[in-house]
Amino acid sequence: MSAFRAELLKATTTRLLLWFGFGLLAFLLLVLSIHIGSHDPESLREPSTQRTTLGFAGLAAIVAVLIASLLVTAEYAHGTINQSFLAVPARGRLLAAKLAAAVFVVFVFAVLTDAVTLVIAELWYHGRGRSLHLDSYTLAPFLGAVGASMLAGGIGVGLGALIRRQTGTIVTILLWLLIGEAVLSAAGDAARFGPGHALGAVVAAHRTSNAGDMLAVWPAVIVGLLYVVVFCGLGFLAVAGSDVPSSGD
Amino acid sequence: MIEVEHLTKRFRRATAVDDLSFSVPRGRITGFLGPNGAGKTTTLRVLLGLALPTSGRASVAGRRYRELDAPLKTVGAVLEASNYHPARSGRNHLRMLATAAGIAPTRVQEVLAQVELSAAAKRRVGTYSLGMRQRLSVAAALLGEPELLVLDEPANGLDPEGIRWLRNFLRSFAGSGGTVFVSSHVLAEVSQLADEVVIIHRGKLVAHQTVAELTLQAAGATRVRSPRAEELLGRLRQAGIEADATDTGVLAVHAPPERIGDLAAEAGIPLHELVADTGSLEEAFLELTAEPRS
Repeated sequence: MSAFRAELLKATTTRLLLWFGFGLLAFLLLVLSIHIGSHDPESLREPSTQRTTLGFAGLAAIVAVLIASLLVTAEYAHGTINQSFLAVPARGRLLAAKLAAAVFVVFVFAVLTDAVTLVIAELWYHGRGRSLHLDSYTLAPFLGAVGASMLAGGIGVGLGALIRRQTGTIVTILLWLLIGEAVLSAAGDAARFGPGHALGAVVAAHRTSNAGDMLAVWPAVIVGLLYVVVFCGLGFLAVAGSDVPSSGD
Repeated sequence: MIEVEHLTKRFRRATAVDDLSFSVPRGRITGFLGPNGAGKTTTLRVLLGLALPTSGRASVAGRRYRELDAPLKTVGAVLEASNYHPARSGRNHLRMLATAAGIAPTRVQEVLAQVELSAAAKRRVGTYSLGMRQRLSVAAALLGEPELLVLDEPANGLDPEGIRWLRNFLRSFAGSGGTVFVSSHVLAEVSQLADEVVIIHRGKLVAHQTVAELTLQAAGATRVRSPRAEELLGRLRQAGIEADATDTGVLAVHAPPERIGDLAAEAGIPLHELVADTGSLEEAFLELTAEPRS
């Protein structure tokens, strides 16, 4: 528990979360404005449109994987990992604390993202003379965004521990999201099992698989959990079996 | 307090530490010396569980660092002064470590005061001078009130005032019964501070002696002048002491002045001069770590 609290302190005593928060807020403002502004008032009334609109909260999952990976790699970049391992020499225990703290932080981040998405969407809808109809159908992506963010946080910690270099980890994540998932799409049905597609399916929160390109929510959660287990397992093995670098990268 | 037993650490083909064994006694200041690349930092990192040994073992109080129940309460380590997040305040850096180690938060203010950093506690570490960062490292090491301090080149980059502060601090720590193991390039500092030194070269132990023994070893001959020099020379040689006559009535004797004086007194031989040619730790160090000429 003490290691977990220390990891929370690490996450909240730099400006990392603040900058990501501002960045996501700006991006949400942009994409929601484009999305809502490009629909005619009639279609805005449709529950499916409203559900898609609120699904933009799922962007939190992309930020979550970056935040979580940085909670690990920033320690290597600044060399603070040395003092962290001096305080908590059991490497598995420290990484488990990082995983728990990262999942908690991105959970809070995702809930705030849901709230911000709701406020921006409500303001836009109000401005266009419409109102959001909030029920379990339209709000389901909010729960999906929280779940996908927590899974993305777990994957981020695992990737961070596996690669350990800050720039290398961020570049890997962005390349995968921008190119890797698109390339995987060419593989047909198998693409549904890619990490980005699986987390997207968690955000979409469909009870059943639709159109063959997206898993239903629970299978997607299981696939996401498998990615967390695999990446964290590999990351933990990599950290446990290697020397701690004496200074940052 | 520290036991290093047949420790070997290889990095691919390079051997940084080669079958190194030594021990550091409790309650003393031990200097850890060696030229650049001798394997000092690697040895300390293995001791602190940050690097994995290829073979052998390094332990503190009979246990490997990662097996210690409360590591920060047993060992305080000062590693590089650059191991900080520049955007985090000094106080938060210490809070984070104290929380992780289960140390009372009140210790943070105490150690900040101890290293005279209270006024800068809320400033970001990125704005600290090198000397302030080094003090913060010392504060982090003191958080758990450890009985052993392990310091890797703590004087690196410090100005004379900082070096004096560090020296006084380590003396006071050792004076209160603490054990200090300090690696350094600043040999003059170590000779003023340490009770004994461990010297390594190319990863191997070359000397582990008290500073007094080592400087004596590096010393030249003791100059002795006596009106009965020839008789004294005979007595000295009988006692197995190497000695030569260098001038009329003057001897160069390879023994400490105390022994020569005692021997002369026993034989009733008057001495008119007895001067030790004191060596320095630097001379001893250079002698021990000299590269063979090709």
